[in-house]
Amino acid sequence: MSSPVWMVTKREFRTRMMTKSNIISLSIMLAVIVVGAVVASFFLDRETEGPSSSVAVEQGVTDLQPHLEQAASEQGLALELSTLTTDEAEQALIAEEDPLDAYLSGDPSAPRMLVAENADPAVVELVTDAVNAYVLTEQIGALGGDPADVGTALATAAPQVESLVAPEESEFDGPAFVVSVVMISLLLFALIGGGSMISMGVVEEKTSRVVELLLSTIKPTQLLAGKILGIGAYALFQIVVLGGALTLAVTALGLTEDIAVDVGAALGLLIVWFLLGYTIYALLFGGFAALVSRQEEIGSVTTPLMFLLFVPYYVTMFVVVNDPDSTLARVLTFVPFFAPFVVPVRDALGGLPLWELGVSIGLCLVTIPVLIWLSARVYQRGVLHTGGRMKLTEALKG
Amino acid sequence: MNALEIDHLNKAYGSLRALTDLTFDVHAGEIFGFVGSNGAGKTTAMRIMLGVLAADSGQVRWKGSELDLEARRRVGYMPEERGLYPKMKVGEQLEFLAGLHGMSPTAAKGAVEHWTDRLGVGERRGDDVEKLSLGNQQRVQLAAALVHDPDVLVLDEPFSGLDPVAVDVMSGVLRERAQAGVPVIFSSHQLELVERLCDRVGIVRAGRMEALGSIDELRATDHPTWLLDVDAAPDAVMASLATLPGLTTTPVTEHPGQLHVVATTRDAEAPRAILRAALELGAVREFSPVRPSLADLFRGVVSAGEDPAVDPSASDAKEGAR
Repeated sequence: MSSPVWMVTKREFRTRMMTKSNIISLSIMLAVIVVGAVVASFFLDRETEGPSSSVAVEQGVTDLQPHLEQAASEQGLALELSTLTTDEAEQALIAEEDPLDAYLSGDPSAPRMLVAENADPAVVELVTDAVNAYVLTEQIGALGGDPADVGTALATAAPQVESLVAPEESEFDGPAFVVSVVMISLLLFALIGGGSMISMGVVEEKTSRVVELLLSTIKPTQLLAGKILGIGAYALFQIVVLGGALTLAVTALGLTEDIAVDVGAALGLLIVWFLLGYTIYALLFGGFAALVSRQEEIGSVTTPLMFLLFVPYYVTMFVVVNDPDSTLARVLTFVPFFAPFVVPVRDALGGLPLWELGVSIGLCLVTIPVLIWLSARVYQRGVLHTGGRMKLTEALKG
Repeated sequence: MNALEIDHLNKAYGSLRALTDLTFDVHAGEIFGFVGSNGAGKTTAMRIMLGVLAADSGQVRWKGSELDLEARRRVGYMPEERGLYPKMKVGEQLEFLAGLHGMSPTAAKGAVEHWTDRLGVGERRGDDVEKLSLGNQQRVQLAAALVHDPDVLVLDEPFSGLDPVAVDVMSGVLRERAQAGVPVIFSSHQLELVERLCDRVGIVRAGRMEALGSIDELRATDHPTWLLDVDAAPDAVMASLATLPGLTTTPVTEHPGQLHVVATTRDAEAPRAILRAALELGAVREFSPVRPSLADLFRGVVSAGEDPAVDPSASDAKEGAR
């Protein structure tokens, strides 16, 4: 395929990919994610090592030892067991370094638990479990039963919960909230990045006057389309690489188990909405940038568009995230400029019926040809206009 | 007909008339010089030829059919406002432009190497355009117009900003392309260059074609003039020539002793009669036809229109184009 649009697309993508600054910034961001993952895993691993306790028993209560060990492993507690005399234990309990947590003596079915000052609740629980288990085993043995069978039977003795009415959806969900905010922030970042690259690219062609040479061989619409596609591909590449690296890092750390949201599916949906949102906003950025002729003037056309991006972002973050099923959220689902932010959040929070998703995507797809027409009209008139800033009405009238 | 035809182009910017019925053609293998004062409408006309600007009426044709987008891909264009991507390597940029003109990547690569070497910027292919001097950027710009082996060349001020060596290279390239059958049209204010290089010249003023033809045709006049320098008293020479019919003689003010002899009729015998009369009076140091230079013709055309009522807008026309 070697149509002019494709060639412009290729050039836009290549010139952005191959710059030193791009390669450096992308490597730095990837390095930050990898280093962050390594550091996070280091801290997370330390936490899973968990607290450790040291318990000593008197010679007469060594029967408790297997039960203590089992209770410790069930509670995820590292246990250090030793056998001491009372005198030795009293010393060890008040030792400066690695003091003993508890000393058990007397009757194994109701041992005396000696501690330095306050009993560690975790240790009390551990010892209670162990003593209970010991007593149970003793009693079962005395009644002529098999303690192992009873243990297996007990392990499966739990109620199977079933509810008649589905639990209330969209209750505030911390991890889902975090995923939503990260998602729309990533989207905002990508849309702003793409939009400013497009407007700078359009103005660069105007200031360097290369546009006149280009327009002698291709149509303005082909040039604009190629630019939007090429920069879109580059922005998508960034979002996929960075989003993918983040997803991988989060998965590798096992964090996804704690998050109710399906991160992979969320990323997939985010890409769909990035493409829709990007197309909508890129057309505006591209068309409007043609109105100015100097890099310094870009702000005058991009500021209103940035505003147009920030409003749905904040509305989504403060209104939709808190109540994804509110009337406002439902209405904004069908407003193309808001939908790219509102819809993925509502979907991630589980409150979006499929038909609303379909209609929302449909409305965006219908808006795009209108924006193409508008943008092409403004771009065609603006792109060869040099000198001062061209008025929008002037470009639309023409 | 293998010609680039510019047919009754009209263009107005609001109330400014930039082009009025501009009509001329450039034949295959011909170098056409497009001259006129600043704002006369040359750039506007060239932009219309390349479709960068739309004419209000009129048509540009190549080989008899309209020069549309498809046909324009076979045109080499050098815009007045030089333009290349500043942060793109010379080679990549030219390959990209060649691709837009429909060349395959391999053909483009070869053509880029050929033209950058030919224009003396071969060693800079790997450099960003902005790192090159303005003169070298100009050479790259010309390479951009030539790289796709165009069927038609339209160059707006191709010689401005070039050193004499580059001017020679550029002239050579234009001649070579013309010999290959390409119609070449370029605008320039360097009139000696136009005179030397062009087969035909068009002088525009205020958007109208005021004079059109080969240099010799433009010089042709009903009043041929000769310069005469005789080793004799000027008064005597003037008196002697006054006896011949249809001649007026005036002294050349800058060079005492020299005379301008103007024939009021076209008479092939006139030079011989003048020379004979002069030789009778003394040795003839110089006797040559006075041919107006292009600059003289240009001044004549431009000053002829220096009536403010006729031409209030010409100098603004180019501003309007931007």
